[in-house]
Amino acid sequence: MSARRVLLGVLGVALAAGWVLLLLWILRTTVPGDLGLPHLSAAGQFDPADLRRAREFSRVERLIALGGILALLGALWLYARRGAVLARESAAGRIGTGMLLGMLGLGLTWFAQIPFGVAELWWERRHHLARAGYLAYVIQDFLSLGGQFLFACFALLIVMALAGRLGSAWPFVGAPALVGVSALFALASPWLIPDQHPLRDPSLAATARRFAAQEGVGDAEVRVQYVKRQTTAPNAEAVGLGPGRRVILWDTLVDGFPRRQVRVVIGHELGHLAHRHLLKGIGLSALFLIPAAFLIELLTRRRGGLREPAAVPLALLVLALAQTLALPLTTTVSRRFETEADWSALRTTRDPAADRALFRGFTHRAYSDPTSPWWAHALFDDHPTGLTRIELADAWEARRP
Amino acid sequence: MEGLEGSPPAEPEPGREVAAPPVRLLLAPDDLERSRLTVFFRALLAIPHFIALALYGLAVIFAVVLAWFAALIIGRVPEGLHHFIARFIRYVTQVNGYLYLVAEPWPPFFADRPYAVDLELPERVRQSRWTVLGRLILALPALALSAALAGGGASFSGGSISGSSSSFSSSSFSGDFSSGDLVTACAFLAWWVGVLRARAPRGLRDAAAYAIGYAAQVYAYFLLVTPRYPDSDPLKSPAAEHAEPHPVAVANADDLRRSRITVFFRGLLALPHLVWLALWSLVALLALIPHSLGTLFGGRAPERIHAFLSRFVAYGTHVNAFLWLAANPFPGFTGEPGTYPVEAQLPMAVRQNRWITFFRWLLILPAFLVTSALGAVQFIAGFLGWWAALVTGRMPEGLRNLSVWALRYNAQVQAYGLLLTDRYPYAGPVVTWAPPGAPPAPAPLPEG
Repeated sequence: MSARRVLLGVLGVALAAGWVLLLLWILRTTVPGDLGLPHLSAAGQFDPADLRRAREFSRVERLIALGGILALLGALWLYARRGAVLARESAAGRIGTGMLLGMLGLGLTWFAQIPFGVAELWWERRHHLARAGYLAYVIQDFLSLGGQFLFACFALLIVMALAGRLGSAWPFVGAPALVGVSALFALASPWLIPDQHPLRDPSLAATARRFAAQEGVGDAEVRVQYVKRQTTAPNAEAVGLGPGRRVILWDTLVDGFPRRQVRVVIGHELGHLAHRHLLKGIGLSALFLIPAAFLIELLTRRRGGLREPAAVPLALLVLALAQTLALPLTTTVSRRFETEADWSALRTTRDPAADRALFRGFTHRAYSDPTSPWWAHALFDDHPTGLTRIELADAWEARRP
Repeated sequence: MEGLEGSPPAEPEPGREVAAPPVRLLLAPDDLERSRLTVFFRALLAIPHFIALALYGLAVIFAVVLAWFAALIIGRVPEGLHHFIARFIRYVTQVNGYLYLVAEPWPPFFADRPYAVDLELPERVRQSRWTVLGRLILALPALALSAALAGGGASFSGGSISGSSSSFSSSSFSGDFSSGDLVTACAFLAWWVGVLRARAPRGLRDAAAYAIGYAAQVYAYFLLVTPRYPDSDPLKSPAAEHAEPHPVAVANADDLRRSRITVFFRGLLALPHLVWLALWSLVALLALIPHSLGTLFGGRAPERIHAFLSRFVAYGTHVNAFLWLAANPFPGFTGEPGTYPVEAQLPMAVRQNRWITFFRWLLILPAFLVTSALGAVQFIAGFLGWWAALVTGRMPEGLRNLSVWALRYNAQVQAYGLLLTDRYPYAGPVVTWAPPGAPPAPAPLPEG
C-alpha cells in the first residue's frame, strides 16, 4: 500500500469522524427533549377565512416552487449533455474555461427559472404581498447573477486548481476550502445588506439591548431594513459571525405589528445568535459539501474529473441534484434551529400570548399556511408551521415556573 | 473637384430601386499647416456660417417634411428637394471641417464650390416606403453613435438643423466639455497645438475627419438623401488612409462570429476579469514607482517591471475587447501574448527621453480627453453591437473596428502613462506597429 493511499485513508477516516461529530453538534438543542406538544387543531387557532386564503395562496406558491426546481434540473440536465461544446468560446485555458462554463450554466438556470420567478411575483402582487414591477424584478434578478458568477468563479478557481494538483483527492482539501469561503461570506454578510438603519423606537431599542444582554450576545445590534418599496410581507433575520453579527428587522414588521409581537421576533432572532445557528448552518453546509464533493468527483470521472473544464456542466447538475435530494435533511435541521429560537424567544420575552398572536398575524397578513402537506413540509418548510409554533408556546406556558 | 479623392456618382436607372452608392467623405491633401491667427479665432470666424446654417436649417426642416411625404407617396424624394437637402449636408460638413480644424481655408457659403473637406452624395434613388416611414426609428442607433462621435453634430434640436457648429461654439471656448464627443475633444486639443505650433496634429485631424464623415452619413440617411445605412467602419474612411508607425498597436484576428449566449451575458461574464483587473491595477500602480525611478534615473525602464506592466496592458486590452464585443472568446487571466484574437502589441524596454519621463504625468492629460471620448464611442458601439450580435450571431465589422480603434488608443495611453514607451498616443484610426529598432513596416496592420 503506497504512502499516498495510507494518507488518503487516514484523511478519509478523520473526515468521517469529523462529519459525525459535526452532525451531533449541529443537532444539539436547548429545547427539552421530553417536551410533549399539545395537539391543537388549526381551525380552533386561526380564523377560518385566514386559513382558507393561506392554503389557497400556499398551494400555488408550492406549485411554482416545484416547477422552478424541475426547470432548474431540466436546464442543467440539458447543459450537462451539451454544455461542454461551449468550451470553444474560451481562450482562457483550463481553469478560465471552467469558470466560463460555470457562469454560463448559472446563466442558463436563470433563463429556466425566470418564468417561475415572474409567476411567483404575479401571485404575490395579486395578494398584495409584493410591490416590485415585473421589469424591475427581471433586471434586478439578472444583475444579482453578477454576485453568483463571481462566487462560482472563485469556487471553481479553488476546486479546479486543487483538482489539477491533487487529482481525484481534491475533495479532501476542496470541500473544507469551500466551507471556509462560505464562512467568510457569512462574516461579511452584515455589511452587504442594503438600506439598513438603526432601530429608531427608543423603547424597542432598549428592549433589544436588554434581551441581547440576557441572551449573552450583548454586542449584537438590532437594525431595520427598508423593504417597503418591494414587499409588504413581514420578515427578520440574524446575520453575521463574531463582531459584526446583528439582527435585521424588515420595516414591514416594525411598522406593521404591535410592539409586543416585534419583541417576540427580536427575541427569536437573538436566540439564533445566542445558539450559534449561523455557525451551525455553516457546519451543515460542510456536512453537505463534503459528500457532495466526493460524489461530483466520482460522477465526473468519465469526463476527466474537475481537472477538465468539460466536466463543469455535469458537476453543476450533480450539485443541484444533491442539493435537491438533501432538501428534506436541510429543512429538518433548519426547523430544529427555528424551534430552538422560538423557545429562546419564549424564555426571553415570557409572553406566549404575543407569540401566538404573532403567528396568527403571519397567517392573516402574509398568508403563511399553518398546516402544510407532508411533502411540502419536507421539501420547503424551513420553519415549523404556524400551528406547531403555537403549540410550542402552549407547551412553554404549561412548563412555566 | 480638383485635388479631392473619389469618383463621380453612377447614374441611377430610372424607375428602379437601386442600391445607393455610399456617402463619401472627400479630403483634399493637407500639409497640416495652420495659421495661428485663424486657429485662435476659429469659432468666431465661423459665426457667419453658423448664421447661414441656421437659416438654411430652418428651410431644410420644411423641405424634409415635404420630402418625407413625397417619398412615402411616390417612393422617391423629388429632385429639387433632394439637391436642396444634399447641399445642406455638404455645407454642414464643410463648416464642421473648418470649425474642427480638419481644414484650413475659410469655407464657401452654402457649399457653392468644392472644399478641402467635402462630401460626395449619391443622386436620388427609389427608397423603400417602409424604411422611409420608420426612418426616425431606424436612424436612432446611428444617431446615438453619431452623438458620441460628433456630439451635437447629429442633433436636430431647437428648431434649427445647425450641424455641430453651435455646440462647439458654445462649449469649447468656455471650457465646458460636457458633451464629451470625439470631434470636440480632438478639436480642443488641435486648437492648442495649432495656436502653439501652427500645425494640426495628424492623428487628431484624422479622428475628427472620420467623425465628421460619419455624422454626414447619418444626416444623409436621416434626411432622406439616401436609403443607405451609415457605415461606421473607420477603416473605410479616407481619414484612415494614413497609417502612422507607432510602437504600440493592436493586432486584430477576430472573425466577427459571436456566440449568442456569451453575448447575452457578456457584462456579467466579464465581472471576474474586471475584479482581477482592478486587483492587478493596484499592483501595477505600486510597480510604477520603481519603474518611474528606474526610467528617470537610468534612462531606460527596468526590464522585469517593463515586462510585468506590458502584461498588464495586454490583459486590459483582452478584457476590454471581450467586454465591448471586439472579440468573441472568454480571455485568459494572464494577458499572455498570442492567446487572444485582439491583442496589444507593445515595445521592448528601450532608452527613453528623461524630460518626457519627468513630465509624463502632465503630458498624458490631453490623451485622457481623447481616451474618454473614444471610451464613450466604444460604449455605444458595444451596446449597438450587443443587439446586433445577439440577433445575427455576428458583430458588425464597422462597430468592431471602431471598438478596436478605441482599444488601441487606450493601450497607447496606458503604455505611455506606465512608461512603456515615450511615444505619444496617436489618435488617428490606423497605425502600423513599429517597435523601436525594427525596420518600418511595409503596410498597415489589419485592424479590420
